[in-house]
Amino acid sequence: METFLLLMNGIGTALVPLNLGLLIFGCLIGLFVGAMPGLGSVNGVAILIPITFIVPPTAAIIFLAAVYYGAMYGGAISSIMLGIPGASTAVATVFDGRPLAQKGDAITGLTAAAVGSFVGGTVSVILFTLFAPPLAKVALAFNAPETFALMVMAFATFVGLGGDDIPKTCFSILIGLVLSTIGLDLISGQPRLIFFGIPGFLHGVNFLVLAIGIYGIGEMLWTLESTKGAVQISSIKFTFKDIIQGFRNLKDTVMAMTIGSFLGFFVGILPAAGATPAALMSYGITKQLSKNSKDFGTGVPAGVVAPECANNSASTGSMLPMLTLGIPGSPTTAILLGGMILWGLTPGPLLFTQQPEFVWGLIGSLYIANFFTLILNVALIPAFIMVLRIPFAILAPVIFVLCVTGGYAPTQSIHDVWLMLLFGVVGYVLRKLDYPVAPAVLSIVLGPLAEKAMRQSLIISDGSFNIFFDFSIKPIAATIMYIALVFLFLPLISVMKNKLFPKKT
Amino acid sequence: MNLLKKVAILFVSFSLVAVGTVSAKDFKPKKPIELIIMAGQGGGADEIARLVQGIAEKNDFTSKPLIPINKPGGSGGEALTYVKGKSGDQHTIMITLNSFFTTPQNQTELGIDIIEDYTPLARLLTDTFMVWIKKDGAKTSGINTLDEFLARAKQGDLVMGGTGKMSEDELLLGMMRGMFGFDAKYVPYSGGGAVAKGLIGGESDFTLNNPSEQMGFYQSGDSKALVMMTPKRNPAFPEVPSSYELGYPDLEYYMMRAFVAPADIGAEAQKYYTGVLHDVYMNNEFQKFNIDDGKLLSWIEGYGLSDFFAVEYDKHSEIVAAFN
Amino acid sequence: MKLTTRNAEIIVAIILALCSIALMVKSAQNRIDWTVEDNMGAGFMPFWLSVGMLICTIITIFKWFTKRSPQSTDEKPFIDPEANKYVYVTVLSLVGLILGTAYVGIYISLIFFLFFYLKYFSEKSNLFITIFSLATPVITFCFFEWLLKITLPQGISEPLFYPIYDLMY
Repeated sequence: METFLLLMNGIGTALVPLNLGLLIFGCLIGLFVGAMPGLGSVNGVAILIPITFIVPPTAAIIFLAAVYYGAMYGGAISSIMLGIPGASTAVATVFDGRPLAQKGDAITGLTAAAVGSFVGGTVSVILFTLFAPPLAKVALAFNAPETFALMVMAFATFVGLGGDDIPKTCFSILIGLVLSTIGLDLISGQPRLIFFGIPGFLHGVNFLVLAIGIYGIGEMLWTLESTKGAVQISSIKFTFKDIIQGFRNLKDTVMAMTIGSFLGFFVGILPAAGATPAALMSYGITKQLSKNSKDFGTGVPAGVVAPECANNSASTGSMLPMLTLGIPGSPTTAILLGGMILWGLTPGPLLFTQQPEFVWGLIGSLYIANFFTLILNVALIPAFIMVLRIPFAILAPVIFVLCVTGGYAPTQSIHDVWLMLLFGVVGYVLRKLDYPVAPAVLSIVLGPLAEKAMRQSLIISDGSFNIFFDFSIKPIAATIMYIALVFLFLPLISVMKNKLFPKKT
Repeated sequence: MNLLKKVAILFVSFSLVAVGTVSAKDFKPKKPIELIIMAGQGGGADEIARLVQGIAEKNDFTSKPLIPINKPGGSGGEALTYVKGKSGDQHTIMITLNSFFTTPQNQTELGIDIIEDYTPLARLLTDTFMVWIKKDGAKTSGINTLDEFLARAKQGDLVMGGTGKMSEDELLLGMMRGMFGFDAKYVPYSGGGAVAKGLIGGESDFTLNNPSEQMGFYQSGDSKALVMMTPKRNPAFPEVPSSYELGYPDLEYYMMRAFVAPADIGAEAQKYYTGVLHDVYMNNEFQKFNIDDGKLLSWIEGYGLSDFFAVEYDKHSEIVAAFN
Repeated sequence: MKLTTRNAEIIVAIILALCSIALMVKSAQNRIDWTVEDNMGAGFMPFWLSVGMLICTIITIFKWFTKRSPQSTDEKPFIDPEANKYVYVTVLSLVGLILGTAYVGIYISLIFFLFFYLKYFSEKSNLFITIFSLATPVITFCFFEWLLKITLPQGISEPLFYPIYDLMY
């Protein structure tokens, strides 16, 4: 009851004209920045921090949270419409969103993303409202061994993502992992794999550089070749009925929404994980549990709903460690956290009691922002569809321009733009030879998290792997690890079964 | 190709104008100023960089905006190389921390000379370090003073969380090892916030965090500070004793927050940026924020700063040498 | 030798095998062993992962000799001869764009890139192409420099933008 009163107060705070205006403005900016390849909520929030010095902290956090929120959705737009992930959190959205648009059903893709984001965001903010303080304790109990177990689980859910050629799939996973080790090794303090002494490698291979290279440039080369430059995207007509149909197509995605919302929230509240692994895991698990898992990757609405639901859910979830523990769960919350400190607030266990107006104003604003982004996004679908009407000969160079600026913007180094082109061309050649590329993208996201967590754990355990498997040492880690192993062996068992007892045809 | 010609003419004429203005007496920035941060987003250096940017923007201290760019690669090695390569560029400044001293020594292949390759602008702040333990930690419960802690630490089974191999806190651990004769297992995390959380989450037994990184847990009573490595107590932590009071004057270590520019930017540009930083430094908001946060305001500029760099560089090379 | 898919498969596999070996050599510049006292060396993970890559490529090469993968029996040209100009011209013009971005500045390079690309591939009128090539850099400039305050590389064209910055701030 007390929570309810606080929440009502919070919603009231969010509805004050100044706050509401900033919220709407923030959602719009976020949507726009998120939709640009390479730019994500990090850029939006970082740029707007100085502006927030002139308004009270509550208004400032509402504004920035709205930018964060809008960007989470915006990422889906370019994933679906252009096939380039707008932000790292929207990579998994490409897997099914892009094929949907190519089939001429971009409307379903966009509605799925909008509704998925709404459901994920709403479920997680409700969980946040009800359980924030106890969940902070869960986040505290989640240390290196638990994180490593979770990463193993993320990899395990993606076993089914590869192609038919097992050595080529393994190669893709391994090269992603090797690329992720480039740069300074945190544990030993030594630089690794600095090719030819080029200083650009010191910051490692940014995951967006690989994703934009492969999905932006590589994919475009593939499209240009296979259509001989004359791309015919099935002419898209647009009526109100199509949107209704788009909503109808979502009726089979209830499972994806459930998995996305809860998994996303859970992964989001864990410090150091963030929305990108959440979206990837949600996609992988939904695919494995789905009845028609074979169709994933060819354009099924559930394949868009699962990651979109999870990334919005996780972004709300990652506010929890930020507020209660002062630890950023993602690069964006790292900047938000810096902002809070500059506004004179001390994130930590006492924030909820010392600054109720700030905390509950933020929570209240998330409810409103959710509702508002849904309306905004459905209303803007016709405008997004226009993009697909642009003739391909004009769209192609624009996409290349977006790739170049998007490759440059995150690290502001031209070195990364060259790498992006290299990955694009190599990705194109490898794809033609049936090397799956998605596993490499997945590995480069999860690799650094996994390696760090594993080595931290092994330092603590003096090199003993029991720390991951023994229930008496780390019960949570062991539980997750065994679930992960089940996920890992499920597909193998079914493959074995088919080999040993082939079905009669 | 008429158009091309026009662009070329326009271009040449503008370049001439630009060359003409470079030699003008008073320096004024002509384009947005890159503010390079040799650490990642959300860390201590990043926080100060964005505070400086925000205050400069709010009060119009610079005629062109400051644009923060994080280059955390290779413990700041990437940022150092980048700014070194910008010699003569009057629109770049960089915020440095102690990795300014340690990274060139740990990565000699970068070929960085911190005195020759950079123009010193000003040091604004120094941050201190404290020894932190968790309240009722598994191995440290009941410990309330530094001496009790040292006695316990000599058993050699404590785990310390830190911000990365060869970073300030590991060097500091090395210093303490030499002074007190205890050793601990060092587990690197990514950033001060994660270190603080690792302590409260029970993964590590003690940390050497900056004051602001533990502030939240300190206020809520989840963590305890045993000593502040300064001559005097800090007003933000009135009940934490200083190392001098406890009789360990050698236990003194600071993290600097100083700004430098590329080499050869000219005296006028150096004066301009030092002036801007001084305006920020004197700003009430800046002063209040840093005092509340437990940081020490410690302005030095020009030759004073070069001397400080030289002294600290030598001091760090001793610590690094002792460490290896 | 014609560049068929079958040939491409073995060439790429051999290149990847060589890359794996190069990565192993490069990783070995760091410690690749793993002891309890000194933990895992920095090179441990990349080295053994590269070994894994090498094993995968060797299997792929083996499958090529035994003709067990679809690509190893495919005698069709690797890149469709009717469409290869799209691939080559695109890649080369992108190299030009990035080179231009680094040295001449992105906004000037964009004009030339767009003009060339549209002239080569689209059937639009010269007027349209000119307007489009000039408008895109302007929009890009407004979005990045003005809205987001991210400076894109300007190379030697930088002085051109000083008056614009003076107007902006």
